[in-house]
Amino acid sequence: MVEARVAQLTGVYAVSALGRGADAQLAGALAGVPAFGPVDRFDTAARRVTVAATVPEVATLPDELAAAIDGACRAAGLDRAQRAGCALLLAVHGGPTLGAGPVAGAGPALGPAPAVLAGQLAARCGLSGHTRVYTSACVSASTAVADAAARITRGDVERVVVAAGYLVEPDQFALFDAGRALAVDGAVRPFSAGRRGLLLGDGVAAVVLESSTGRRRGVDPVATVVGWGRAGDAFHPCQPEPGGTGLARAVGGALRRAGLPPQSVGYVNANATGTAQSDTAEAAALRRALGGHADRVPVSSTKSVHGHALEASGLLELVVTALALRHGELPVNAGWLAQDESCPLNVVKDGPRRTTATHALTLNAAFGGANTALLVGVG
Amino acid sequence: MPGFVHSDFAPVVVAVAERCLRRGYGSAGVPAGVRTGIVLVSASGDLASAQHVRATVEAGGRIGPLFFFQSVPNSVAGHLAARWGLRGPVVCLSPTGDPYTDGVAEADLLRDDGDADEVLLILIEQAPEKPTEAVAVLLGGGARP
Repeated sequence: MVEARVAQLTGVYAVSALGRGADAQLAGALAGVPAFGPVDRFDTAARRVTVAATVPEVATLPDELAAAIDGACRAAGLDRAQRAGCALLLAVHGGPTLGAGPVAGAGPALGPAPAVLAGQLAARCGLSGHTRVYTSACVSASTAVADAAARITRGDVERVVVAAGYLVEPDQFALFDAGRALAVDGAVRPFSAGRRGLLLGDGVAAVVLESSTGRRRGVDPVATVVGWGRAGDAFHPCQPEPGGTGLARAVGGALRRAGLPPQSVGYVNANATGTAQSDTAEAAALRRALGGHADRVPVSSTKSVHGHALEASGLLELVVTALALRHGELPVNAGWLAQDESCPLNVVKDGPRRTTATHALTLNAAFGGANTALLVGVG
Repeated sequence: MPGFVHSDFAPVVVAVAERCLRRGYGSAGVPAGVRTGIVLVSASGDLASAQHVRATVEAGGRIGPLFFFQSVPNSVAGHLAARWGLRGPVVCLSPTGDPYTDGVAEADLLRDDGDADEVLLILIEQAPEKPTEAVAVLLGGGARP
């Protein structure tokens, strides 16, 4: 009997304000202590909000990405020869490089254009397969993972590295501030009454996704990406559809690909940014997609501790979700004040929760009504 | 275009996309049940808006809130999706090779993988001192009149 092709996560690595490395992400997410503090890498005096979750002594984005790719490849047990031929899917902010770098006083023109960056990273890290750069805002990385899983399971490729990075910098910070999207109370409170908005956070992550070749090398996979879905709201340039229909279709796609019922989902790492209408729409999407199971499945948003890493959020949250599921403990949803009747969910509030669940969803949504769902499994 | 300011990035995307969709579907629009994805490929992104934001931040000024709403190419894709009922995935790429080849490869993947029945592929580039150029192609649509 021919074994069905699957997309396994054989190596993961991430950096955020929770710390450096995969273990630091898990420990930080379980501790549930928000990592937000005053931004000191650029001037925020003209902004309404002046906090974010930033990594101290961060390098440039290209250097952080290269280190993350190397870290994920090492974790997957890939030597230089085994990296050859491997594709690189990169998720970063698109458009021109105009000199807004993450490091204070570092001057203009800090980074190459996205396509150049992808080529440089592939060369530095010994990945000689094709490259693709996703600039789909907050679903960039999760779309890249879905595409990688699709290409592996249909047999196009054996191995893909997905990397993603966002380091808090002055231009996006100013834009989010101007759009009044940032939480003026300095806390992210997903699904909670009294939530005031999101806060930005550094996030750089890389994962190695491969078919069963990892297992043949003797590598124990962190998790398997068993399902994925991508769908659009067809509603508004930047507002989510209040009924959550697009996100629900993405979840449905993930379950359908996995061949699993809603009841198999033992945890949801929600997109929930702490924004009033977005969290409500996501709660509606979960009810639409999971039915009555939406009352019971534990839900949290780890953005409440590491912040919103924009283009990298989907990968950082995938890493956290997979590690938590494998560890058997679910991250806390920090910042909770009180139940919001418009978000009737089983939110993990008081501390990390033990679990024997084998499957978890991680959800992402973006401007343009773009939605993704990734379903991971362990065991 | 209401909600989009300063730059011709979004208006040009909408102009080519709507011309393409009208040629494909006429005034009837995309049939119900057809999931049309959007793949937008651009190396420059919205250069004019990005330059304005950079200059304003550098000068210590405040940015108008509408720049937040158009800060990513997803926004204009969402505008199109809402007007035309395009319910497939929204994917934006910065091309690493030939933009059309990159875009078609992504469109094929979305269709083969089953999340889109067809894909509206948009290529757009802005450059200083040059007109903004864009192309839209509807790929894989099987419901043309």
